[in-house]
Amino acid sequence: MNRTLIHTENLHKQYRMSKTNVVHALRGVSLDVQEGDFTAIIGPSGGGKSTLLHILGLLDKPDNGTFILDGIDVMKMKEKEAHLVRAKKLGFIFQGFNLIPTLTALENVMQAGRYGGLNAKARKTRALELLEQVGLHQRGNHKPNELSGGQQQRVAIARALMNKPTIILADEPTGELDSKTSAEIIAMLQQLNKEHNQTFLMVTHNLDVAAMCKKVVKLVDGKNET
Amino acid sequence: MFRRKMRTVLTIVGITVGIFAFTVMGSMALRFNKMIAGGKSFITGQITLMPKGTSFTSMGGAAFLPVDTLQQISKVEGVQAVAAGVELALKEPDPDNPTGEFSFGPPPTIEGMDLNSTYENRNWKTMDMKAGRMLAKGDKDNQVTVGYTIAIDKGLKVGDETEIRGRKFEVIGIIDQTLTGPDQYVFMSLKSARELLVESNPFLKSLKERSDEAAKISDADLAKLPEATRKQVLDARAFKLEDVTQMGAVSWQDGQDPDVVANRIKDQFKDEVIVLSPIKLGETIDKASAIFNAIILGSAVIALIVGGFSIINTMVMSISERKREIGIKKAIGASNRSIAWDYTLEAGAIGILGGLIGMGFGLLAIFFINGQTAKSGAEIFLVTPGFMVGVVVFSLVLGLVAGLLPAVRASKMNAVDAIREL
Repeated sequence: MNRTLIHTENLHKQYRMSKTNVVHALRGVSLDVQEGDFTAIIGPSGGGKSTLLHILGLLDKPDNGTFILDGIDVMKMKEKEAHLVRAKKLGFIFQGFNLIPTLTALENVMQAGRYGGLNAKARKTRALELLEQVGLHQRGNHKPNELSGGQQQRVAIARALMNKPTIILADEPTGELDSKTSAEIIAMLQQLNKEHNQTFLMVTHNLDVAAMCKKVVKLVDGKNET
Repeated sequence: MFRRKMRTVLTIVGITVGIFAFTVMGSMALRFNKMIAGGKSFITGQITLMPKGTSFTSMGGAAFLPVDTLQQISKVEGVQAVAAGVELALKEPDPDNPTGEFSFGPPPTIEGMDLNSTYENRNWKTMDMKAGRMLAKGDKDNQVTVGYTIAIDKGLKVGDETEIRGRKFEVIGIIDQTLTGPDQYVFMSLKSARELLVESNPFLKSLKERSDEAAKISDADLAKLPEATRKQVLDARAFKLEDVTQMGAVSWQDGQDPDVVANRIKDQFKDEVIVLSPIKLGETIDKASAIFNAIILGSAVIALIVGGFSIINTMVMSISERKREIGIKKAIGASNRSIAWDYTLEAGAIGILGGLIGMGFGLLAIFFINGQTAKSGAEIFLVTPGFMVGVVVFSLVLGLVAGLLPAVRASKMNAVDAIREL
């Protein structure tokens, strides 16, 4: 049986907007992700998908519930430890690519290695390998504004892979791409999943994209839809 | 840092102005301090005697120390030797401009040296010579040793003849630069200095002329004169050139406490001389140099305020525009500390860049002004390697400290909020 990388039970999260306005973003979400999974989280806007992804990415903390990430009890984890877990166990792919505009493609990929504790030489070697893997080895010295949307997302994928993460969290990775480029990106993620057993958890609105995933979890009003 | 070039450039200009002021004011204060330190070193190496009726600040006044008194002081317990001193301006002031040009430090001065005395200043036993030698016992009355600035000002070399107050002197030595009093001094024999002083002072001149006239009257002729006239002639003869002594310098014997020796002299001669203890005089001078240290501190504070606030402003603006970048960095594993460090370093880089440019402009201004004033013999600024390193370190620390607060704010930014800036 595959190792469980994410296990959540009854996760709750609420945001207090004002004294009288409290938004219940998560109302008891439970989720299991095994090694090698390619899971899509779908659901209407405001259903809690992004909140869940931020919590799973250790960018936010649930109010209560259980959250075990690759054997680590996240509820007991201190903020000082969270950044190392983020750097070494998690990779992020965003909707808007989110590359640092002043850095080149190569430097953007290398940046993640810096936080993962790789030395400068190892960072460069690994970043060049990854750029080659995503087919951008000749574009390493280009800044993000010199790359197309699809190319930028491929750089973001390379960056997410930099520290050989346990799981990659993707937030609408094709949201800003045309259908042809979207298909290419999803194909690339599937290839990584298949050939390298890379685990993915992806939030998407696109049901066609979700259909390509091995597992689908639907969130409605902050809860799993059964 | 260079994403908003104009803003960064303006910040660097702000720091440049502050550090420019710091460099210029600081090197001026250093020059003052060096000069004061030299004066302090000299004055605390001896017990200084002033005639009654003068004060330390009116040195070279019209009161004199009788030679007999100085001889008696030389016998006080603990005294090693006493030297008489005469001091006067190198040039007669211009009647149309009696205050003269602004002078940085002591004006060009003639120092009469008591070459027959074994007096030795504890802190200025020898002077480093640029050329030739220091005036010494046995030298002629028409020989002088000149200070560094005087030599440059008059274009003098060893062996040259120079005219001082209408008399010809031979230059036998040029003292190396001290950046303090001796740079502006001409050292000559006590006898020559006394004669020049008498020549320059109408009252003393008339006493001397009357004394010379009185000396021509033989004792036989004197006896024939009426009582009142004879008394006048004898009074006129009483004037002795050796009594024209404006100050005395006392050196103490080895193992003696200069303060104790000064007090002994004071106790015995309090009606005739003012005794300046080296220790107390040193304390007075320290108070003066505190003013110049306040100048350095003041200019540093200006640099701190101008530069510091512009860095803080730039960094706060820059960080608020880069919220998204901070969110991305956090998402890919950056620790709060590494984010704070990145932005602090960026502010430090702005600080050091502004500092280097400001110091560069400051040094250019200093070398230009020093080059101009060196022609008239008085450099206003002193730049030392230590001070330059200090300026660079100061601007780096300024940048780091000013950047720290915005950087810490950036590091504490909520990653989710930052990412939602998309």
